[in-house]
Amino acid sequence: MQQIADGASVAGILVIVALGLSIIFGVMKVINMAHGELIMIGAYTTYVVYTLNDLPFYVGMLAAFVVAAIVGFLMETLVIKRLYGRPLETLLATWGISIILQQVIRMIFGPDGKTVISPLADKLEIGQIVIPHFRLFIILFAIGLLIATTFILFKTKFGTQFRTVAQNREMSECLGINTSRIDTYTFAFGAGLAGVAGAVLAPLKTVSPTMGLSYLVDAFMTVVLGGVGSLAGTALGSGVIGETSQLLTTISGETGAKILVFLLIILVIRFKPEGLFRMERR
Amino acid sequence: MKKWLWNSAAVGLAMTMLLTGCGGAKKTSGNSGGGSDSDGIKVGILFSLSGATAVTEKGMANAALLAIEEINANGGVKGKKLIPVQEDLASQPSVAATKAKKLLQQDKVVAIVGGYTSASRQAMLPIVEQNKGVLVYPTLYEGEECSKNIIYTGATPNQQLQDFVPWMIENYGKKFFFIGSDYVYPAETNKQVKALLKKFGGEVVGEEYVPIGHSEFASVINKIKSAQPNVIFSDLVGDSVAAFYKQYKSYGLDPAKMPIASPITAETDLAAMGAEVGEGHITSYGYFQSLDTPENKKFVEAYHTKYGQNEPITSVIEAAYFSTHLLAKALEKTDDIRNAEKLIKAFAGLEFQAPQGKIKIDEHNNHAYLYSRIAKIGKDGQFHVVKESKEPIAPEPWAKILFPDKEKTCHLH
Repeated sequence: MQQIADGASVAGILVIVALGLSIIFGVMKVINMAHGELIMIGAYTTYVVYTLNDLPFYVGMLAAFVVAAIVGFLMETLVIKRLYGRPLETLLATWGISIILQQVIRMIFGPDGKTVISPLADKLEIGQIVIPHFRLFIILFAIGLLIATTFILFKTKFGTQFRTVAQNREMSECLGINTSRIDTYTFAFGAGLAGVAGAVLAPLKTVSPTMGLSYLVDAFMTVVLGGVGSLAGTALGSGVIGETSQLLTTISGETGAKILVFLLIILVIRFKPEGLFRMERR
Repeated sequence: MKKWLWNSAAVGLAMTMLLTGCGGAKKTSGNSGGGSDSDGIKVGILFSLSGATAVTEKGMANAALLAIEEINANGGVKGKKLIPVQEDLASQPSVAATKAKKLLQQDKVVAIVGGYTSASRQAMLPIVEQNKGVLVYPTLYEGEECSKNIIYTGATPNQQLQDFVPWMIENYGKKFFFIGSDYVYPAETNKQVKALLKKFGGEVVGEEYVPIGHSEFASVINKIKSAQPNVIFSDLVGDSVAAFYKQYKSYGLDPAKMPIASPITAETDLAAMGAEVGEGHITSYGYFQSLDTPENKKFVEAYHTKYGQNEPITSVIEAAYFSTHLLAKALEKTDDIRNAEKLIKAFAGLEFQAPQGKIKIDEHNNHAYLYSRIAKIGKDGQFHVVKESKEPIAPEPWAKILFPDKEKTCHLH
């Protein structure tokens, strides 16, 4: 039972980490190697707002969204916009950007880790099961974020245009949708979500310039397993990875569990190359 | 055509920013080439200023530069000033080898102070030996090595463990749970801890190794809870450290009953986790920033004045500092600073009043006698010494408890 509860919190973390990537990767077909660094920037923003300036934690989360979205906006207009349809160049450019962002943060804040103290220190105990309040918050927040994102994508004008562009870029352009502007907004939105992920992870992990790297791998695994470009897929993918990895660690240790989860994902992709959730193509 | 130009300009800009971003922090003083000592004595300072381990190594480089400044202010060595030639090894062993070669062959430095990871030391070792150079390596390491061209000023595991393990058994209990990052240092260290546990009547109730950078510890904490140890012995490194301590606290475990004991959690990690999370946990080192010695007060003040009040100072930073001073003393003592063999000989038996106390280089094995201190993290986010050795402990590159017959292996002089 404890493992299932922990798995849920890991799945929550994966949802939050992968959501931004899923939107950027799924719709724009941009492999954003700087996703982890956008998470890192969100974490540092929270550090500045919440730890240094003593403002409430949710203000830090909001600020993290805004700052990361601005960085995403700049990335898209300055670099990525000029590289659409050239995946290899995009990959290299975003990788370069990730190194630049890391070094800039290192020059501003120094190379050592920073403290963000958990705003919810208490824990919930049901019999033998212990769930820290903050992990509970992450599970609920992940669900909330999924609902909010679904609402934005299916109930707003931006969402309609976003989905149109995702399905057929040329046709949307013919219909008078400014696809380049949708691209910019989408990228900024995805980056903002990465920023929020950073804010939420900051109290749980170490805030350091190199923190982004491991999340990049986790996020890509989740998105690829779930099915590229599908929100439900991202949710399912993170659930599967979170639960299996936590259940496997009790049998085989952390390193063994990582290897087994990788094998599992390779197997799934071998037989279902589109991921667990196939997006309808019309 | 125009679009193509724009694209290449964008990529070019990104590349330029990338290069200057990495190189921006690098300060290379002294002109390259030429080996004349008429204007001063060149000393290589080789640490990572960028990359994964820049966290700690930047501070080590700073400390070495501070020491050189002090030496020069006191008249230098043999009336000549020391000239630091600094290079960035960028957290990559292959770069360490190239830069060490450059420092020895092109800059003709008399010695290099540098290296942090064992991988970087091992990459530099053959280069230093082939070029008849001298490397002063100021980091604690797993031992089982000796080189006639390297002076090891960091702790060998026995210096941190032989008092630490029995003290933990005596004060907390005999059941140990191991958690470590999956690489050579924790594996070698834990071998010695296990040997000590056997000797002092302790036992191992669990053992987990996680990949470097791993930061999700829910399942490890579950295993710890069901194993019910008295002590969690951690040799986690990097970003894993603060994550583990934070999650330990969030699951409501109590450091008064089951503390995390570590030979490697330092002031930098404490800054990353916060005093509240660290309170009550225990570390063993020869040096802590909070030490109350006149030498340390002077050192901490000089370091903070130069590099900022909030910079945490760790044992490897102190080691880089006294290593540079030791090098100056050895240079002063030898009659030919260009002769590596004579310079190394000059190190043997050399003593120095370091911030941690009076240390000395062993006459035979090129390693340093260092203090052993056990400290508990307090509310103020500093380590408070609870037990210390009366005098510096002899270095054992091959720990006696594991290799009782290897005593002579490292008999270099």
